[in-house]
Amino acid sequence: MTETTTLPVRVGTGDPVTLEDDATPLVRLVGRALRASVRDGHVPDAFDLLSGAVAVRSHDTPHTATIRFDRGTAAVSSGVLGQPDATLVVDLHARFASTEEPSGDAALASAALTVLQPPPPPWREAAAQFWEAARVVKGIPDVLVLEAHGPDGPQHGRFGEGTTTYGIAGPADLLAGVFSGADDFLVALAAGLKVRGTLSQLSVMTAASWKVRFDV
Amino acid sequence: MSETSTHRKAVRLEATNHEGSLLGKNVSPAKFEAGKDSGFAFADILFAIDLNNEIVLGDAFPDWRGNLYDIQMVPDMATMVEWKPGLDSVIGDYWLKDGTPVPICPRNLVRKLVARLADHGYGATVAVEIEATLFEEPVQEARARGYRDLTPLGGSTGATYHLARSNDWVAYMEAVVDRLDQVGITWEAWTDEAAPGQTELNLAPTDPVRLGDSWARTRQVMREVAHELGHTVSFMAKPTAGFGQGAHINISLRSDGVNRFYAEDGPSELMRHAVGGLLATMEGNTSIAFPQITSYRRLVDLTGPPTTVSWGVNNKTAAVRAITGHPKYSRLEYRLPGADVNPYLALAGVLAGVLAGIERRIEPPQEVTDMAWCLPESCGVRRIPDTMSKAGAALDADPLLREYLGDEFVDFWVASRRWEWMEFHTKGGDPFAELSAWESQRYFEFP
Repeated sequence: MTETTTLPVRVGTGDPVTLEDDATPLVRLVGRALRASVRDGHVPDAFDLLSGAVAVRSHDTPHTATIRFDRGTAAVSSGVLGQPDATLVVDLHARFASTEEPSGDAALASAALTVLQPPPPPWREAAAQFWEAARVVKGIPDVLVLEAHGPDGPQHGRFGEGTTTYGIAGPADLLAGVFSGADDFLVALAAGLKVRGTLSQLSVMTAASWKVRFDV
Repeated sequence: MSETSTHRKAVRLEATNHEGSLLGKNVSPAKFEAGKDSGFAFADILFAIDLNNEIVLGDAFPDWRGNLYDIQMVPDMATMVEWKPGLDSVIGDYWLKDGTPVPICPRNLVRKLVARLADHGYGATVAVEIEATLFEEPVQEARARGYRDLTPLGGSTGATYHLARSNDWVAYMEAVVDRLDQVGITWEAWTDEAAPGQTELNLAPTDPVRLGDSWARTRQVMREVAHELGHTVSFMAKPTAGFGQGAHINISLRSDGVNRFYAEDGPSELMRHAVGGLLATMEGNTSIAFPQITSYRRLVDLTGPPTTVSWGVNNKTAAVRAITGHPKYSRLEYRLPGADVNPYLALAGVLAGVLAGIERRIEPPQEVTDMAWCLPESCGVRRIPDTMSKAGAALDADPLLREYLGDEFVDFWVASRRWEWMEFHTKGGDPFAELSAWESQRYFEFP
């Protein structure tokens, strides 16, 4: 592994989303979703006016994070200190789907949920971006071979060039979710995603999936 | 060591995995005789599963690992002892089919570094202080309770050196040292330690490989005796939310029978360089010395463990304590590791630091003569990394430890700790609890 497991706070980079130092996976996951929303324009019209602290709680684990919106910027930290303006209880393995009614400021909670749930790009686009980002992962295969299942039947994709290949087959939306970081690769495997490759390659693909999902 | 069985019924093959758990299997006498030279096949999965039996993912496997290949465990016949009537026990190392050591085999790492020290004409003498906590309840009851709300053996008032412990605690420790005597492990002392139910058992100084063997086996003895007496023992860094427990390593270097750490006027030049190397590698070594999520919960100022990258003569608040002025006893006490550490990897980390220091003639930073806890940043003394992710990043970036432990080991270890960190943070561990149920379930009984 050549990357560090800590992501320094990005100051002065123009990034409207900042994470605390030594961020937890949940903080990183929240940060990824927020950045994707900002990058893809999936933010409510009022984003630049949003202000307040939103607690994000996992529905089935003790993990929590706080997003502090401040008129076009968002700072994410671990835990919940004090009384947030709104609280979301979400399923981290279902793209931040609410599992119960948000509490507190309803407008702020609704806006925060919107920003946390950017739709993944089309599977081909997501796969191309993922495979490009995965180049830095030691041992990553040369070629990604995909079979995406959709309403029009299977579609195929091939990304990269070289001799070593890795194959993945599954629903198009799930592939898009895994490759964009919205969905967890190992959870997707347990849910029926099919792969073809060695155990070592599975290990490397896990590292690559963490890179896009958690930036580690 | 003790004699082997006169009526051998089985031989237990033993070696630790990366986590420090003593793994192995029992083989028949005939099977052992047939395989003792060529070795015995073990699945490489022993280096690829976590303490919850999940396959550890997130790194590129080296060539010797595939879809669960076999590796060879070759017994070291010098370690053969009669463990109990009819059962002999032998410790081994893991080797590849081409006769080269498995690069991530903990015991082989120690052997490699001992050999490198010998190239300089030095032999290391090491000792360890093993801390463990004892509970009245049998392990089955402890499991049923989720390892919570157990009763400390010997009483609930925790204060070091008390002789007024109840007989159940004394009987346990006496049974432990009896067993150590029987299997040829030389111990020096045992005592009541700071926390309720806690003990400290000191193993005698010896060479690093043998100490690693004795350390791993002592844990096994302490567990077996606990089972036999209907009690529970834990080497978890913090088995309760109260006191933690460590494993201090003492080391000196000798040549021609002379302790080269000794000088009349304080630390010898060699000792100073060893300190320099130990401090230069301390942040990276924290990942090895603190292998579990709970390990980092010990890092609280004023509670015993070091919290700063520091050293001092006779300063037990520092991470490295130099004991000086005695031709025989001059040594360094490396106070970083927790009780949950892999014995061999702990020793390998110390040897790597010492080697780095003496080969590069690394001068240590200024000695800390004040209390090394709670130091202001303006003193220029760094804090020990206080999370698994920070320590993993430090090890990943440490060129010295990469040289002495090898890139393959460092990459493997960093990836395995990243997996551990990810499991804790995504599978129910609570970073805000004093001690989460997830940690108790995962770490109380192992390594």
